[in-house]
Amino acid sequence: MSAGQEIDRRTFMKLGSTALAAGMAPTLQTELRPAAEAPYPVKWYPFTGHPDSDTCWSLSVGPDGRIYAAACAESVPGGVVKPVRYNEERDDLDYLFDLAEKVDDPGDSGRATQCKIHYSFAPSMHDQVLYMATHLSGPPIDLPRYSPWYSWHDAKRGFRGSALLAFDTRNDCVLWWDTLIPKEGCRCLLHDEERGLLYAMSYPRDHFIIYDLQTRKRRDIGRISSINPQALFLDKQHRVWTSSDYGRLVRYTPDTDRLEISPGLLAHDLNYQTGWHGVFYDVAPSPDRECVYASTWCPNPHLMRIWLNEGEWPRVEDLGPATQPRDPAFPVDMFTDHCGGLTFAGDGKLYYVASRWNDPKYNPLPGTGKQLQGVVWRLDPQTLRREEVSQLKHPTGVANYVSRGAVDHNGDLFFGHVGNHPSGVFKVSMPAERKKKNAHLPIRMWG
Amino acid sequence: MQTKGRFDPNSPAIKAYEQELAHQFVREGTMVAFPTCLPGITARITHDECRITALDIDPEAQIYGGTSGRQAHLFAARFHDLTGVVLDVGIVPGGTSTVAACCAKSRTLAFVNGARGGRAIAIPKIDLAQDWIQEWGLDPSVLQDLGECVPGEPVVHAICDPSRTTVIGVTSGHLFTLDGESWKIAVRGEVAGRGHLALSNSGVFGQDEGARLWHFDLASGKIRRAAVDLPAGDWTGAVRWARGSEADQLLMADASGQLFSFDENKGFHRLGKAHLAPVGPMAMTPDGRLFGFCGAEMANLFCCDLAAGSVSNLGVAASVLEQRRYGYQFGDAVTGPDGEIVFGEDDNDGHLWLYFPKIKRIQRTPA
Repeated sequence: MSAGQEIDRRTFMKLGSTALAAGMAPTLQTELRPAAEAPYPVKWYPFTGHPDSDTCWSLSVGPDGRIYAAACAESVPGGVVKPVRYNEERDDLDYLFDLAEKVDDPGDSGRATQCKIHYSFAPSMHDQVLYMATHLSGPPIDLPRYSPWYSWHDAKRGFRGSALLAFDTRNDCVLWWDTLIPKEGCRCLLHDEERGLLYAMSYPRDHFIIYDLQTRKRRDIGRISSINPQALFLDKQHRVWTSSDYGRLVRYTPDTDRLEISPGLLAHDLNYQTGWHGVFYDVAPSPDRECVYASTWCPNPHLMRIWLNEGEWPRVEDLGPATQPRDPAFPVDMFTDHCGGLTFAGDGKLYYVASRWNDPKYNPLPGTGKQLQGVVWRLDPQTLRREEVSQLKHPTGVANYVSRGAVDHNGDLFFGHVGNHPSGVFKVSMPAERKKKNAHLPIRMWG
Repeated sequence: MQTKGRFDPNSPAIKAYEQELAHQFVREGTMVAFPTCLPGITARITHDECRITALDIDPEAQIYGGTSGRQAHLFAARFHDLTGVVLDVGIVPGGTSTVAACCAKSRTLAFVNGARGGRAIAIPKIDLAQDWIQEWGLDPSVLQDLGECVPGEPVVHAICDPSRTTVIGVTSGHLFTLDGESWKIAVRGEVAGRGHLALSNSGVFGQDEGARLWHFDLASGKIRRAAVDLPAGDWTGAVRWARGSEADQLLMADASGQLFSFDENKGFHRLGKAHLAPVGPMAMTPDGRLFGFCGAEMANLFCCDLAAGSVSNLGVAASVLEQRRYGYQFGDAVTGPDGEIVFGEDDNDGHLWLYFPKIKRIQRTPA
């Protein structure tokens, strides 16, 4: 894949891995944006300071209200991740450090590398620390590919383990680091600041991990299933939530020290899906923390609103498919069919990016524009109506796959993107009347 | 733009590596992970109570087993004719670890450790024969607690005698027998309670202190300590056994993954070495191939072909029928009536994994 070229499906599947809804599910009502209203301005910030970067799996707002992103290099043998931060004075990115150097696991070690941070930034407000944990898949420098299954027992080649770093955002230094999960990557990370605990999902074994920040000790609570959930989230009762392969809620309750599986299923397309592979992709808390909004990592992902504090198990509201109708008899990869970047902004609306693609039968796109688009949606939680406020634009490549989104302390939107080389982030400037200072608060505590 | 890669993508070594990666899961045969339920009808055994650690199979090809976890469940299962079911028979009160299931003639007996000690539990006879289809139901069964086997000592393992009228078990310090008719438990003497037990023609072998086996003579009821010297190997771990395809043949593994056959009259014969250690559950197909898992945390399937004298790595377990599941840890194994092997997955939400080995091509000789 050369710079500027659009990513192809197979390349994406190597990087990332590892319906017809008619009549069966609610459909999000769409409002046409008045022609007089201009789309939100979009600007692309490529990771030119880390030209090996091929993905950006993590983008979060830090405890200081600034935007942090991970310039990941997972398809490059020996590739390493470099955390970056948006510098609002320079309107550019600052490259903070080479993470592999910081944790003494350099890219030329001969092992699988510290190549990425995957939904694993988690802020700590009281001390202005940003925790970050690494994930695996980058091949050793002298091998073309890496498999954690194949190399699990190989001391020379196997991944050393997910590195956890405490980054002091006030002084721009790494305070300490530790191995969060030996031999495995961290798919997603969450911080329960009141309890001083980090929660993580391991990959590939899909174990639920608890890390005590005071003792710096790890506990493995056990396996959930086979397909990694892509998000963990927290409720007011300090319970941690995620999902299983079978599209069920998984709940960890500290008081009982148990993982429990919900009897009900998350939203999915009843026409042709069973719920399997309906793991969470992205989850954003509502500002009042009474519910969360979520999308799933499966074809035709549905948006959901989940009321965590209602009943023995939460009430799951199916808000309908986030992407377009498609032929359910033929697979469309989850790079093309995707919804991510969920975040609330200062106007109290949920923003997210959903892909849109040219499908001659189900969604013919007029004109000569991009055949694969990333649409920025604004969803009103009161009416559940959504409007298209912008399209992400990359000068030459694709702009459809957003991993995560966040709002900075100035109230602007940022989205991490996967699919270009170098990869990078989008800034979507909020209109002045919808912008609010410190719109990132209360802050999201998970990646 | 690969700026750093230090390799020649066309080198034989890299091509061989790519080929290896392309076949890292179930390199031969087919695995099917079956959930612990009657699919579509009943709920599975609770996620954290479903580490399958003990299995046995009766002469009618019905499988019985038990789980470990927050609570131990006992189950019956069948995968033949129109029947495809794992039936959760019940929870053992206070039980957290099932160490053995033994299909005795009148009942199946399970041995379960927990807060109430190491106990023998009788599973009622459950007929899942022929066409136990989704439309059927049955009355709940009641597990019968036969009591603690040896006070204060957890049970380590147990097996049936050849007639299936007596179960021979071992705790952490004693050997006991359980009569399959009267359900009476008798402590027969002190033994080292390590590893699994194996049944030979004359009696039962178990792992003694040091590199030795003790022997329990079924006819006389006598225990002979240090009866057999084990061959050179690493005997620091708990041994695993499998029945051979020939009478009198037993198969075992040491802690380093070395595989041996054992015959009371002929002694030990080294077969080779699994590529990872420790060796977990193993079972032999009627054609003389031994299949098992080796390696901690993320086990690999291996095949020891006794006829060919080879041991091969068959990769990580994966099931792809309907849903994808990876299998990392396994607790026990039995051979089914048609040569398939059923592995019990010792992990959260454990499944029964049916393994259908690759059929070997017949080498025809010209007439």
